[in-house]
Amino acid sequence: MDQHPQQFEQTVAEAQAQVGQPVLIPLDEQPTQISITMPTQAYFQSGIRDFVVNLTKNMTGFSQQWAFRFQAVVDELCNNAIEHGSAVGQNIKVAMISTKNKSLEVIVEDTGTGKEKISAQQMAALLQERKQMVTAQYLGFRGRGLPKIVGEWTDEIIFEDVPGGGIRVKVKKYLRKEEDQVLSAPKKDPTHLVLQ
Amino acid sequence: MTPVQITIEDVSGAPAGKVVKLIHIVGQLDESNVDEQAKSIYQVIETNPQGLSLVFDVTGLEYMNSKSIGYLTDWYSKVSAAGGKVVLASPRENILDILQVVGLTQLVNAYPSLDEAKAAVMQ
Repeated sequence: MDQHPQQFEQTVAEAQAQVGQPVLIPLDEQPTQISITMPTQAYFQSGIRDFVVNLTKNMTGFSQQWAFRFQAVVDELCNNAIEHGSAVGQNIKVAMISTKNKSLEVIVEDTGTGKEKISAQQMAALLQERKQMVTAQYLGFRGRGLPKIVGEWTDEIIFEDVPGGGIRVKVKKYLRKEEDQVLSAPKKDPTHLVLQ
Repeated sequence: MTPVQITIEDVSGAPAGKVVKLIHIVGQLDESNVDEQAKSIYQVIETNPQGLSLVFDVTGLEYMNSKSIGYLTDWYSKVSAAGGKVVLASPRENILDILQVVGLTQLVNAYPSLDEAKAAVMQ
């Protein structure tokens, strides 16, 4: 049956109203995900760090300062997964998801076979406990990585139990240009030094 | 193991009763090497129980993780408890940034040049 053009347009308009307007995401705004599976040996972490710095500098829109910060964030998360979450001979999984000029997400997953079996809920509690413990005058040997390096340099931290054991840690940082500009400006805080 | 090189030398001209050691660190301190590398620093501290000050020349230090920051804090505690000082000379921006976020720049002073760092511990 032939349909009158006016009726056809009306039908299309009704359909669009029902399902919503199609949204086209430009190619350069689509998230880029890179996943790595790595043996539980600290030896491989230097390679991951180099990769994180280069990826962040070249593909995310974040500044060089943030590239080095993410390098440390990923290193600390991988180290926790290796040291506490996965036994020797196992693998950990690392994924980076970049939405250019918007956000960078890092996901690290262990196998739950390490020396300290712990749940996602316990990890979240541990993070809060360490945030209280690690002050500027803290002289302890361990405990800075998660609350200070990961906690201070990301906007979101989520711990999830992985079916079959293990923990998945998801951290996310949103790109805020004004934050970068503030960071690049000369610092007036007398407790730290500005290198020219 | 990630490459890192630590060399230790005496600094001449220290006041009587003081010992100043200059420690150069070049490379990356991470989980794969820091426990082994830390031994040489502890040896210096143990053999100089009083009047020791440490100047860390970190011009060539590219990366340090939270565990190596823990060691640095421990060295600071031991040396300062015995009346000495611990300072850093010419850290890179990323090193200073990570020390700042953990709060260590409030305990260990950093100087833009080796000469300034040495002068700070000679006083």
